[in-house]
Amino acid sequence: MDTVLQDIVLGNSDEIVKKWINEVEKNSVHKYSLTISEELFDSTNREFVNVIFVSVQNQGSKDDLKDFAERIINFGWPLNYLTEGMQAFRRVTTNFIIERSETLDAERFKQVLESVDEWVDPIVNFLVSEYSGSWESTVSLQKVALQELSAPLIPVMDGITVMPLIGTIDTERAKLIMENLLEGAIKHNAEVVLIDITGVPVVDTMVAHHIIQAAEAVRLVGSTCILVGIRPEIAQTIVNLGIDLSKFPTKSSLRKGFQSALEITDRAVVNLKDKGNEMENMIDSLNKG
Amino acid sequence: MNNQSCIPIKKEWDIVGARQYGRDIAKNLGFGSVDQARIATAISELARNIYLYAQKGKICFDIVEGVNKKGIKIVAIDEGPGIEEISKVMEDGYTTSGGLGAGLPGIKRLMDDFDIISEVGKGTEITVVKWLR
Amino acid sequence: MMRIPILKLHNYLLISIQIDLDDQTAIQFQEDLLKKIHETGATGVVIDLTSVDIVDSYIAKVLGDVVSMSDLMGAKVVLTGIQPAVAITLIDLGIHLKDVPTSLDLEKGLIKLRQELEE
Repeated sequence: MDTVLQDIVLGNSDEIVKKWINEVEKNSVHKYSLTISEELFDSTNREFVNVIFVSVQNQGSKDDLKDFAERIINFGWPLNYLTEGMQAFRRVTTNFIIERSETLDAERFKQVLESVDEWVDPIVNFLVSEYSGSWESTVSLQKVALQELSAPLIPVMDGITVMPLIGTIDTERAKLIMENLLEGAIKHNAEVVLIDITGVPVVDTMVAHHIIQAAEAVRLVGSTCILVGIRPEIAQTIVNLGIDLSKFPTKSSLRKGFQSALEITDRAVVNLKDKGNEMENMIDSLNKG
Repeated sequence: MNNQSCIPIKKEWDIVGARQYGRDIAKNLGFGSVDQARIATAISELARNIYLYAQKGKICFDIVEGVNKKGIKIVAIDEGPGIEEISKVMEDGYTTSGGLGAGLPGIKRLMDDFDIISEVGKGTEITVVKWLR
Repeated sequence: MMRIPILKLHNYLLISIQIDLDDQTAIQFQEDLLKKIHETGATGVVIDLTSVDIVDSYIAKVLGDVVSMSDLMGAKVVLTGIQPAVAITLIDLGIHLKDVPTSLDLEKGLIKLRQELEE
């Protein structure tokens, strides 16, 4: 660590801060000011530059930086605010030192650049890793959340079970769906399993492949699988792609699918009271009176 | 972590022994019942290939760790005749034994990673990995 | 090697496989079953696989064959109780057992047989 250069920077911190703030505002005011008030932008800038100076002063200590990064992440500031800020700091500081130098040979130049890099790089690395850490944890949380709502199985009545699928199906999800489907079919002793794809936005070759596989596995465990909720556009893509779904039953709506599920399990829906008859009876009784 | 262990495949019963052993490792690692079955079936297929084509060989088990993940690695090694055209045996439905022709592509679908090295006259080494989800 | 017991009930043969099948046992079972169909003149067979947790391509082939062979001898076969994990691995292996009738359990298998034989 070049303490002479460090002293120059720390000793003239006021001037550097002023230049830095000018630079940052010039660069970014048009980008962030839409959603962030001017006061907040100003105070955040001040805080940011303070944190940078603290970090330059006590090499290695990142406590302040960590606090600052956490707050910035929580507020949802974009990462390029931080990286642009650090780039500005690098520019301003390098220029500042070079302007102050009496001798300007290649050796000196190299020394200045190296020192500034030594201050700036660890901060940039730290901030980026804080950000990506927070993204990764968000992504993994969302993955868990997605899995939880992935493939519910609803036993509607004895022997008939429905699995509504919602959202895009990838290979990972397809595996989960297949497992839930089969375990559920066994657990609920379901003779018929209805897969409802009303909520699946796109059925391409791969999605169809996964659904066919699931249907075949359902047949192996001894149930029948009916694919329901086939919208017109889905029917079109399936035929246009040349996907063969003829081997297992499909129905346009859950209602129709349920009807054939009842037929397969030798049951039917009966009206307990015949409304038409009731009307006639009423009219008859009026006539008699 | 180095838990490598190998099971020799010489007779038909060794196929059953190897898949039971592999299944136990998978169970202890925390694989779900479906993945346990996938792993055990893949081992069964690998061991059967050794028994059918090379007469003898071995199946080795290892626990592997990647970035943020853990898995089971299974290596099937034999000194049999080797495979002449690897791309051909990787096609669905290709068979030389009169089986169902599920063979290698089937094993590949059961597992996550699949790698095969084979030299005619020297032998074959197939490495498969299943990662814990 | 083990022998798998085959039980007779009226015109049906019932088999529950409760062990990890190795190749020899599977082949022996194929022979035993065909012989039994011949002896008894059974018209229906239920093979229950509830306790089987691994079916590889070879065992699947033996089972598929036994269904076709029994069919030739005039006995319909239903496979019952295939476990989810087994079904998934079979699909992964690309084995669909297309011509093999299946049912959830022994009871439903018997009902299916009766329906098919009545038709």
